[in-house]
Amino acid sequence: MKKTLDLIAAPTGMQPGDYVPRVYSDRDGPQTPSVSLEVEHSTRGWRFHVRWPCPKPVQDTGGQSNLFPDAVALVAPSVPEAQWVTMGAPGLAIGGFLWRADREPLIRMRAEGFGTVQRSEAENVRQVTSEWNGGEWSLAFEVAGWKELDETRRLAIAVWRGSARERAGLKSVSPGWIEVGT
Amino acid sequence: MSNIRESQSAPRQLAMVLDLNKCLGCQTCTVACKKLWNKDSGSDYAYWNSVETLPGRGYPAEWQETGGRDSEGAVKRGEIPDIDTAYGRAWNFNHKKTFDSAGKPGAQKEWLRPDSNPKWGANWDEDRGAGEYPGNNHYFYLPRLCNHCTHPACLDACPRKSIYKREEDGIVLVDQDRCHGYRFCVEACPYKKVYFDYERQVANKCIFCLPRIEEGVPMACARQCPGRLRFVGYRDDPEGPIWKLVDKWKVALPLHPEYGLAPNVFYVPPMSPPQLDARGRPTGEPRIPLTYLESLFGDSVGGALETLVAEREKRKQGRPSELMDLLIAYDWNQSFALGPKDAEVSLE
Repeated sequence: MKKTLDLIAAPTGMQPGDYVPRVYSDRDGPQTPSVSLEVEHSTRGWRFHVRWPCPKPVQDTGGQSNLFPDAVALVAPSVPEAQWVTMGAPGLAIGGFLWRADREPLIRMRAEGFGTVQRSEAENVRQVTSEWNGGEWSLAFEVAGWKELDETRRLAIAVWRGSARERAGLKSVSPGWIEVGT
Repeated sequence: MSNIRESQSAPRQLAMVLDLNKCLGCQTCTVACKKLWNKDSGSDYAYWNSVETLPGRGYPAEWQETGGRDSEGAVKRGEIPDIDTAYGRAWNFNHKKTFDSAGKPGAQKEWLRPDSNPKWGANWDEDRGAGEYPGNNHYFYLPRLCNHCTHPACLDACPRKSIYKREEDGIVLVDQDRCHGYRFCVEACPYKKVYFDYERQVANKCIFCLPRIEEGVPMACARQCPGRLRFVGYRDDPEGPIWKLVDKWKVALPLHPEYGLAPNVFYVPPMSPPQLDARGRPTGEPRIPLTYLESLFGDSVGGALETLVAEREKRKQGRPSELMDLLIAYDWNQSFALGPKDAEVSLE
């Protein structure tokens, strides 16, 4: 599968707590308008290649209090009923992988609703390459086993632009699940 | 305050009062806190307790310019201070070069100086103050720490509910296992007393020395203070110093009450000697303008100062004053009301 996807700004009004929905309600449109996503499935597992525009990369946040890294997450629902926009729900988990420009390796993510993301060390991930060149990030990696994606064949993507201080629910996202086929 | 989370109220509240008339600016509290809790490299720039000179830009610089709650109780958007320009980056001195140059006859003398080019720091504008010598120059020291607010902005701002108030004493804590380092808490706290550990990628802040408190021992900043200017106890204890200073005598006031967070660290405002006119005669006007103190401690500061002056006069005349005796702190044990008195480590 190879697609160019238009992204939307994750709805701040749905974010947990009182602060983010209100003080960031003036966000209009996604900071990252589109992303190119290439997905291959083989006996080796899943291979991904993601490219997205980023005029001012933030790769090094070391020793700083107010810098946020560029980042991308690919997630999949554990069951077809799990919603992407809410990061799943209790009993309807989503799971995936987080890449941050300021660190290696990838991070395994799992969530059952807003504010419930749990991070752990990613296993079975190989061939991770990332490069920023000419205003664009390019990220490629392979996953030998991804239970949620293996079962539901759906993906969603989130992009955080560090230079715009995007983090947590401040992000550009695919409008819904993307069918990756068999 | 309809926008305040219900979960943040605590049945009992631990609190602190600091008498600014007794603060020497010696930073013993700062060092006691830093050495005890906060030596990690990722928060080397962070001082849970700091002492700044006012009037001044403070630490972090210009911290008073953003944040707080609006008239409806909603937390306003704040800023995340920059390490280089607002907090100030920790630096080392060129001790070795200085030492070596002193030992070499004829060598150019190397003076002691920072080994980097710092732009700001936690005590950068020490003793600068405001006004013109000798007429109205003035300054005072303001020790600052987390206020363990009754309505904490940091708690409201965290989308992961990583910040909570303890039921038993109202201490505001960060659950660092839940924290993902998003820094909305740093942004929202108008006192700028939540910090970001850039190595561990989590927020950290003053914990009111809770392991000491649980043993009946006051916070390190309070216990180590040579000036005995800190008082510790529970808000609702009528026998303790907090209730007496805040509620009975009404001389201890919250910092920036207009922020709407109901802080639980209170300050006895600084009295000041009179200004001098062109011929060097006292004018009767205090050197620290009342309007400036009101901008820090609210409209009640004038009344608090009048009470302090009146009680001080009583004591000068040899008459008893419960307030002055309490503030003088003849016996430091009377400054702390934490429960089991026998918990303090004994040398006997």
